[in-house]
Amino acid sequence: MHPHLISGSPTTHDDSDAMAPIGNLVNACIQCGTCTASCPNALEMDLTPRKMWRLVILGRLSDVMASRTFILCSDCYTCTLRCPRGLPLTRAMEALKGIAFARRETQHRRSRLFYETFMQTVRRYGRIREMAFMTRYFTAMKNPAEPFRFAPLGLKLMGKGKVEMGGGKSTEIPLAALFEKVAALERTPDKPLGKGG
Amino acid sequence: MDRKIGSALVAGAGISGIRASIDLAQMGYRVTLIDRAPHMGGILSQLDYQFPTDRCGMCRMLPMLDRDAGIQTCLRKGLFHENIDVLLGTTLAAVEGEPGRFEVALNQAPSPIDPDRCIGCGQCSDACPVSVPDAFNAGLTPRKAVYLPVPHNIPNTYTIDPAACTRCGACEPVCPTSAIRLSAMGRQAFRILVVDDESIIRQSLDAWLGDEEGYTVETAASGPEALEKLAATPFHLMLLDIKMPGMDGVTVLEKARIIRPSLNVLMMTAYATVETAVDAMKIGAMDYLIKPFEPESLIPKVAAAYEALQKTAYRRQTVGAIVLATGTTCFDPSVGKNPMGYGIVPHVVTSLAFERMLSGTGPDGGRLLRPSDKRPVKKAAWIQCVGSRDLQTGADFCSTACCMFALKEAAVARRVAGDDFQATIIYMDLRTFGKNFERYGQQTTSTEGIRLERGRVHSIVPTPGSGDVTIRWTSASGKIREECFDLVVLSIGQRANPHTTALAEGLGIDTDGFGFVKTAPFSDTRTLRGGIFAGGTLTGPTDIAESVIRASSAAVNASRTIHRAGGGLAEKADDLVSCRDVACEPPRILAVLCRCENNPEYEKALDVLSARLQQDPAVARVKILDRICTAQGWDSLKETVSATVNRVLVGACRTFIYGKKTRGLAAAFGLDPVLMEAVAMDHHQGLAAPATVAAIMAGLSRLKNVSMEKDQGIAVVNRALVVGGGIAGMSAALAIADHGVDVTLVEASDRLGGNLAWLHQTIDGTPIAPFLEDIIGQIEKHPKIEVMINSRVVGAFGQAGHFFSTIETAGEPTTTAEHGAVILATGGGEAPTDEYGYGTSEAVVTQKELETRIHEGRLDTDGITAVAMIQCVGSREEPRNYCSRVCCPTALKQALWLKSRKPDLQVYILYRDMMTCGLSEAWYTEARRQGILFFQYRPDRKPEVRITADEAAPVSVRLHDPILDAPVEIAADLLVLATGIQPRLPETLALAYGAERDRDGFFLEADSKWRPVEALKAGVFGCGIVLSPRSIAEAVATAEAAAGRALAILTADRLPAARTTAIVRHSLCTLCLRCIETCPYDARFLDDTGQRVLVNPAMCQGCGDCATVCPNSAAIVEGFTHRSMFGAIEGAMAV
Repeated sequence: MHPHLISGSPTTHDDSDAMAPIGNLVNACIQCGTCTASCPNALEMDLTPRKMWRLVILGRLSDVMASRTFILCSDCYTCTLRCPRGLPLTRAMEALKGIAFARRETQHRRSRLFYETFMQTVRRYGRIREMAFMTRYFTAMKNPAEPFRFAPLGLKLMGKGKVEMGGGKSTEIPLAALFEKVAALERTPDKPLGKGG
Repeated sequence: MDRKIGSALVAGAGISGIRASIDLAQMGYRVTLIDRAPHMGGILSQLDYQFPTDRCGMCRMLPMLDRDAGIQTCLRKGLFHENIDVLLGTTLAAVEGEPGRFEVALNQAPSPIDPDRCIGCGQCSDACPVSVPDAFNAGLTPRKAVYLPVPHNIPNTYTIDPAACTRCGACEPVCPTSAIRLSAMGRQAFRILVVDDESIIRQSLDAWLGDEEGYTVETAASGPEALEKLAATPFHLMLLDIKMPGMDGVTVLEKARIIRPSLNVLMMTAYATVETAVDAMKIGAMDYLIKPFEPESLIPKVAAAYEALQKTAYRRQTVGAIVLATGTTCFDPSVGKNPMGYGIVPHVVTSLAFERMLSGTGPDGGRLLRPSDKRPVKKAAWIQCVGSRDLQTGADFCSTACCMFALKEAAVARRVAGDDFQATIIYMDLRTFGKNFERYGQQTTSTEGIRLERGRVHSIVPTPGSGDVTIRWTSASGKIREECFDLVVLSIGQRANPHTTALAEGLGIDTDGFGFVKTAPFSDTRTLRGGIFAGGTLTGPTDIAESVIRASSAAVNASRTIHRAGGGLAEKADDLVSCRDVACEPPRILAVLCRCENNPEYEKALDVLSARLQQDPAVARVKILDRICTAQGWDSLKETVSATVNRVLVGACRTFIYGKKTRGLAAAFGLDPVLMEAVAMDHHQGLAAPATVAAIMAGLSRLKNVSMEKDQGIAVVNRALVVGGGIAGMSAALAIADHGVDVTLVEASDRLGGNLAWLHQTIDGTPIAPFLEDIIGQIEKHPKIEVMINSRVVGAFGQAGHFFSTIETAGEPTTTAEHGAVILATGGGEAPTDEYGYGTSEAVVTQKELETRIHEGRLDTDGITAVAMIQCVGSREEPRNYCSRVCCPTALKQALWLKSRKPDLQVYILYRDMMTCGLSEAWYTEARRQGILFFQYRPDRKPEVRITADEAAPVSVRLHDPILDAPVEIAADLLVLATGIQPRLPETLALAYGAERDRDGFFLEADSKWRPVEALKAGVFGCGIVLSPRSIAEAVATAEAAAGRALAILTADRLPAARTTAIVRHSLCTLCLRCIETCPYDARFLDDTGQRVLVNPAMCQGCGDCATVCPNSAAIVEGFTHRSMFGAIEGAMAV
């Protein structure tokens, strides 16, 4: 394997300035591996959380972006709870998702669209409406095969009555103000990354 | 030399408190040693084994000079020294005054069990119905509310746990010596008289104050009745109604004040008569309450009166200085988030509990069984850093002791449980930073069955169906490991004692964010208030050896304070009573037997025993006295004093044997204490038991044959020689000279300062040069210190109290110095290296070279963008197989300094295990936070360094990053090598004083834990980095410790010889010299003529090795002559 080349200042190459704020969150990591052992999704991840944090600290953005690890984080907060250094790992995971989506990384397109359409649905209806959400998502994906991928899960959920089949109570977009506020906060520079993820 | 006498207070009777007390007592001070707990020994009372011996060995701290001033017994059982008063269950309540004259108030918990009467029979405990977990066995066994705090104490006095005791009174009547008085305990001793004409008020107050609050309450329905009760028995508080028929409250108050002037009176009044109540206060009532009132308004007033009374019972004392050694507590893993499932998952225990499971006095008598199902433990895992290095539990520090603790426990467990025992230690960094720790670690883990796993455990769950424990962690390679164990041991860290904050506030000294006491710069023991010093773990977590060193350092600093203040608190020495010379008289023995039971059987046994004693013609009289442990009994014993007897045999309870009673009795009789023999009449066996009779008859025989020759001891030259003028040598010289003792300080180079001359600053940024200048200034100004530069010791001979050293000075005639003790502080320097391209490029430097460049302002930070540092260069592997301890903090210090100069500069630290022990862990965290990158490497896969032609990055370092499991290449401008420290102690110098070097060339101490700054040969000490690598503050601590130990010799005119020492019968001696070879203390030597073997009586420890090897019985031990020994055996066998 080709050795990782580290020059004098790792934060200057590889356009990893974007990742510097995350680096600051996890710099004090001692690579003990508690996060990896505690992560319920670790088995599905291509990089263990420990390895990924190491790459974050080393400023290797492209390696991090190529990984599915942070996308698979389900925000269970177990690692944050257990980290002996008390690092805000879940928050850092979320921030990585933010970077990946902002960079419109192609390998995370599916996840990005899933997140985005989810939020659009919530914004539109003030709650999640499964049918509307999935319709938006399939449209955004522009892939006719996509609905088939979800069909088995969708049918199972329908069978259990977990999917709202349209109709229902319509809301007057009660969350608009909330979304505006968050957007305003995100626009403000010098704000710490959203507290608590 | 001017000797001064004074007294000191030592708070905390753990290992540090004991060490500080012994040091101060040996220097001649009167010491009051207090502890909150009802037993001595602190945490070590629970630990049976310490590495590297995997045994105890605490007794090695006992004085080796003037041994007879104390009792040579197991220190875990008790400390008995004529200069030390031990007060248990006592806390330091207040300190007033200034250094040299502190008025201290000691709060002694009232003991419901009279220690003078308790015979340790345990009948009270059998009767007690309460059962609570025993803290001594870490909660693994139950105990009663009346219990033995530790099983091994002498005297073995029972105590009552006030929190658990229900005051049921079951123990009181069963005590055979009536030692228990529950009414003396706490609030029950506070007597309240309620005076009111309304019975409903009387009843409710009785219920509130008596039943609820636990005070003793009596009631009176009228003024006259109240006065009657007051006259009959004393009360502490009276609650008095104002409006009563007949005699009103104010009249009762006036009359009561005549009967009991100091009585506290609380008036109870209706709203209408408030003015009367105010008048009552003018004539002495303390306060009033307006009826109707709630308990909430009454109870605080009563509590205030109770506490005021408690305070009047404080023991007040004047001391010259105070040593605090109240130590730390263990982290409780059940608090907070408890990720380790302690107390939830079965068979997860703390390391302290495991220690108890290994102990013979533990729950299973030393067999290693699981707590709940008692299945033998064959496979156990230790989880390190539980409550240490964990910011989530508020611990940004390393507890320092746990790595070695776990290694030791694993090693001992294998010994106890057998070779099929499997131990796994899961750790983050294995901190084997102390002297010989690295080798111990390597030896232990190379043993089959002890496995090290780098990682941190995430989850602990019960294994379904078996009671085992499954744990999960990520291995170094990133694999998630899951394994099942019989038992999981949590290596719990240290925590500041919760009482420290209040204590520090009361004393006006500061604590840090973790609760440890803050110290002055470059000192581990000086608190920020003069005259108050801290020993042991109070100033930060550490291990036994460093605790002991800090304790000795605190003791010598306390002594300096007392000395500086003129030692004006002299208590007259009470042992100067002249003894009658009875050497030529035939033995006339008074035998005193104590009676503490009144039953016919006991009476009969006493008669039989007394008749037997009387058969011996040497026995002049036999007296049977009642309870000589009590004050009355003691008086009756003193009445027996007469000049017609010249020896006294006392048969009494065990409590009488220890302590100062026999000495007091000797003074009363005007006899030498050696003519007193106290024998324990064992209650557990009964008086008629053959063993008891045998012990008394053997005692009688010993007394008949006692030898009264006493050596005058060795004259002491009151001068110290300190070899080495670095920080350790200078600190030791100052500490000794401050006591008015002359010091010769010999330095080989042309100036003082040693390694401090090139060090720039400490890790916290304190500059070193001003400190060094100050110390050198003090040395040069000191009238008692003679500095010899460009000088070295070329030869020496002599013994403790009187050495002769030949000193060669460049360009001057050779001189000879006579001195009583020698301190070797020859230090050490940075080890040389030729690894990692050192010497081939200017870009590769050592830590010292970088420090020098920084210090001299020669480092151009503008020109560099990346610095790599490699730790453990040539260290922790043969031939320098030890950790140099200072290099990891130095790397952090230099990295942080570079970062502070140039924040965008990148620093890479390549390490094996980061040895940031104790509070220096916080700097490790800080370095990580600042973006310094750390790469761990293994010794079998070291980094590779290539010197490149590239001027922009002249050094290339390739290594394998274990986290990424990939090779990494670092291009750096500068490579810094941490090569560690190597000692500078010439073998000839060590041998000249009879000291030895260890295999790495460091000064070999008498015992690495208990006597860490002295050689086995008396009068020879070592300090600073000649002992082992250490920081400036740690070097100063060893220097002060060595000075203190040396002062025990240097402040005496003569070194008193102990009673039991070896002598030589020259007429029988064939000069085979086997005794000289065999003496472990170097106390035997040939005289000037080479014709006679002599014994230095101050150095001889009376071990008797010489007597066993002597083919002619020419070497014998005083007090163990054949006649005396055979006599004792005969006496015992004749039963």
